[in-house]
Amino acid sequence: LLEAGGAVLAWLGASLIVLADGRRGLALGLLGVGLGLAAVLWPTSPALEAGALAVGGAVAAAKRLRNGTPGWVLMPPGSTPRLVLCIAAALLALWLGAVVTSGSGASLRIAVLAVIGMTGVRVIGDRQPDVVLSGVAGLALAAAAASSLASGQVEPAMAFGGALLAATTSFVRWREPQRA
Amino acid sequence: VPDLTPGGVLLAAAVASLVLAVAIAPASVARRDLVWRGGVALVAMAVMAVADSLDIVILVLLAVGVAQTALSGPRDFAVRLRAPVVAAGLLALALVFGRVQGPELLSRFSAVGLVGGLAAGVGVLPYIHALDKDGASEPDAIWIGFIGPVLASAVLLRARAFLPPDAGADFGAMLIGLGVLNLLWGTLGAWWTAHDSVAWHYSFMADWGLALCGFGLFVADGQTAALLVLFALVLGRFPLLLIARAPLAEAGRVDRPLNLLVAAMLAGSAPFAGFAARILLLRGAAETYLPLAVVLAVGLLLWLPPSLRLGRSLSRPRGRQAVALALLLALNAAVGLYPLPILSAAGS
Repeated sequence: LLEAGGAVLAWLGASLIVLADGRRGLALGLLGVGLGLAAVLWPTSPALEAGALAVGGAVAAAKRLRNGTPGWVLMPPGSTPRLVLCIAAALLALWLGAVVTSGSGASLRIAVLAVIGMTGVRVIGDRQPDVVLSGVAGLALAAAAASSLASGQVEPAMAFGGALLAATTSFVRWREPQRA
Repeated sequence: VPDLTPGGVLLAAAVASLVLAVAIAPASVARRDLVWRGGVALVAMAVMAVADSLDIVILVLLAVGVAQTALSGPRDFAVRLRAPVVAAGLLALALVFGRVQGPELLSRFSAVGLVGGLAAGVGVLPYIHALDKDGASEPDAIWIGFIGPVLASAVLLRARAFLPPDAGADFGAMLIGLGVLNLLWGTLGAWWTAHDSVAWHYSFMADWGLALCGFGLFVADGQTAALLVLFALVLGRFPLLLIARAPLAEAGRVDRPLNLLVAAMLAGSAPFAGFAARILLLRGAAETYLPLAVVLAVGLLLWLPPSLRLGRSLSRPRGRQAVALALLLALNAAVGLYPLPILSAAGS
């Protein structure tokens, strides 16, 4: 039950990253992805490694709350394609993770596929740096969680590396090109 | 000769290339920026070269992508970040599909993800990498000519560990297809484009075409050829791009012997490193599938006019740039005449 709940939470978090343009929505999305993936990994991986993903997501969320577009800005006008993406990604991940593939760890497969797909599309389709960096943080957490598909346990280097990368993306300062 | 992996050899070439690039950087290129970019890239490349698994390579790719993008660039931040994120996302999906239990088709999806991720990471995926007519800027060149070779060797070395034999054959075929496409697109683009700076970018694509074909052949000659092409890319074409940037603004074109020698080096003529690579590649292709060798030979012949154009675009290098140019020519000739130390170090 914990694993299934974690997969749903990770999908909800990724959906918020896709649907929100404001810092509150993005922060809550990052928190959801971190906690969801940690919950999926909790039964099979050491608590420290699973917890690292939750902490990485939480730190990224806390920092994201302090910069970016104020408010939630949830589903601004023209968000229908994003909503379709969230639903389609959930269905596709569910089909691939539970029907096409076999073996234990279906929740992990579903969560990882959904988060990688949704955050990847979000990064390609948007031009706001804080939104894009939130997508990168989600992708880093999912890539770290995906390492557990090899041996059943998330690799310590991946858990801590992914959490660190996710957390630091919210601290990144960038330079835009100067235009005449 | 120290025992290194192909990634280690390319990393050593990248260190030498960065030292040369900093020494010869024209006034239009900020040296401090170049050192920062190159330093961050070298650290990431070192981790990629020694990483235990492809998972770590993906995380490092994401990290170095964010770090490189956060520095200045000719396009918007979000646009600059797209290629490394697409690369990391596709490679991560490839890992997922390669590790789950299911129908055989999934391992083929895994191969598609690996090839797509690799192409996006090194900078040869169409549509993601827009060409900038105002100059093949360092942020673009650093992926296609500096980080890309180590990333490719890191991904390809580890990909074989988890791809089943059937998917491995598909993987090789896709690499060859992408390689031929880049070879033809790169050579024709470098020949026909109106801007010298864009021609330089296309020339990197054409070299990557050769390297991808070599990697896809799965015979010793092909792998060796790919390593030599990438070596010449890092410690030849990349520093030359920086030398070319200064006269590009002046649009000066010169037909001195030095320019013709550079053109010969870029075209892969004897005795430079590219010649050995091309001979090995043709031999490997003929051994695997003869029509492929014919297509590659046509592509190599098409290389001559753009190489002459690129050689002439260097104008008249002086001072440190002339010394660096002579050093590059000598190094490339030495590797072309006696590549054994490099190949032994890479374990080829």
